[in-house]
Amino acid sequence: MDWLQTIVNGLMLGGLYGLFGLGLALVFGVMRVVNLAHGEFIVLAAYGGTTLAALLPGVSPLWWVLPVAVAAFGVGYALQALLVNRAVRSGDPLTPLMLTFGLAVVLRNLMVEVFGTNPQALDGGAFTRAGFDLWGLRIALFPLAVLALAAAMFFALQWLLSRTEWGRIVRATSDNFRIVRLMGVQPNHVYNTVMGLALAFAAVAGMLLALRTSFTPYSGVERLLVAFEVVILGGLGSFWGAFAGGMALGVAQLLGQKFDSNAGSLYSHLLFFVVLIVWPTGLARRGR
Amino acid sequence: MPLLEVDALQVWYGDLQALYGVSLALDEGGVLALIGANGAGKSTLLAALCGLLEGRAAGAVRFDGRAALGRPAEALAREGIALVPEGRMLFPSLSVEENLLMGTLTRRRGPWTLARVYQLFPILEQFRGRPATALSGGQQQMVAVARALLSNPRLLLCDEISLGLAPLVVEQIYAALASIRAEGSGLAIVLVEQDVQRACGVADAVCCLLKGRATLQGRADDFDHAQIARAYFGH
Repeated sequence: MDWLQTIVNGLMLGGLYGLFGLGLALVFGVMRVVNLAHGEFIVLAAYGGTTLAALLPGVSPLWWVLPVAVAAFGVGYALQALLVNRAVRSGDPLTPLMLTFGLAVVLRNLMVEVFGTNPQALDGGAFTRAGFDLWGLRIALFPLAVLALAAAMFFALQWLLSRTEWGRIVRATSDNFRIVRLMGVQPNHVYNTVMGLALAFAAVAGMLLALRTSFTPYSGVERLLVAFEVVILGGLGSFWGAFAGGMALGVAQLLGQKFDSNAGSLYSHLLFFVVLIVWPTGLARRGR
Repeated sequence: MPLLEVDALQVWYGDLQALYGVSLALDEGGVLALIGANGAGKSTLLAALCGLLEGRAAGAVRFDGRAALGRPAEALAREGIALVPEGRMLFPSLSVEENLLMGTLTRRRGPWTLARVYQLFPILEQFRGRPATALSGGQQQMVAVARALLSNPRLLLCDEISLGLAPLVVEQIYAALASIRAEGSGLAIVLVEQDVQRACGVADAVCCLLKGRATLQGRADDFDHAQIARAYFGH
């Protein structure tokens, strides 16, 4: 029962991990750009949440998830329009990589400058500490809600991409950005909205992170690593694969910690390492 | 006033000149066969017409009296220029019907709807849910033509639509083009074609390019085989 409890907790943590990877997977899948500043944007959103909570202490921080996500969409849109599209135009995949790497360093140090290095967290009130018993298992309400929200966001993105006109345009642009122009589509505009959406997902993940645990300006690096592992475990470009990858990492981490209390996230990285050797194309593409 | 006017168009890729002052005109409802050997500049000319040109250009292209040279492809598409690209260039991640719907994004009104193109190519309706690249070459070409028609263009540019297809399939595609013309909607067509005889058979006018220059221009039935061969090969 004890082990089962750990697995259940791992799955719920995995929902958040999957969400870390979602925006990264989207941006890579559509424009083949690896956003090395993804982790910093997750942490920046968390600071956005703590700042709002400090300004308006009477309001539950849970309400701030949506406005922070909307603001992140705007930041992502502007970032793509002003910087990344130019870097992509150079034709060298290394240029956007270097750009986002530099951006990550700048953002991290800006956050140190503005917010300091003391760990911070968001207090979500009683809801984040509540739980219930089910068949002898203790289920914490907040992680369960995070898992449900993560699943809903994966589902929503999948639906947007496969069923809507916007999704059709995004997939076609990803296939051939030159030919879509013949249909009246501006590829750069598509990229702007995709980056906006990716950072909105990152912002939701960042807010949930802040509600769950404490963070510092340096937390982004670790989250980026998790996001990478999630995306690669799932097989590049597969969103459901990324969700499953997040779950696998969450379970591996908590089982590892139970087995060896000093392990930290060693076992989730080990799992990643082993999968990379056995199925180099990721879980979702294993069969092909 | 002609729908399309090209005036002394020159194009360079770096130091290499691809077109040396090509001029032509095409009226509403007209069909122009653009012929020439490989590397004669046909695709460059089409790219300049639809806004996908990557080289440097001089001269003028006027579409419906307005300057079109150097304007972006997405703007020209919305004004009614559609291209059936060489090699079809369907979107592999999209189904047949999703590929077709991409054509409707210019939001232009006109005779072409999903139902109408399915009438023109009934096989596409049958395969509408399949990935576009799972179809045969001929069926993919039908998707490419239908996708261009769905933008309800005033000018349809067709780049090598019979290339690599079985003769029977080419027959079908050209029959479809004939019925599009018979529609009488005023659609003008530029056909880039390797098969000179076939191209001249459906076209009103012909323009032959040789090494970036127009070597023969006029009504398609004004020239005999020997004249065209001389313009095509340059000897």
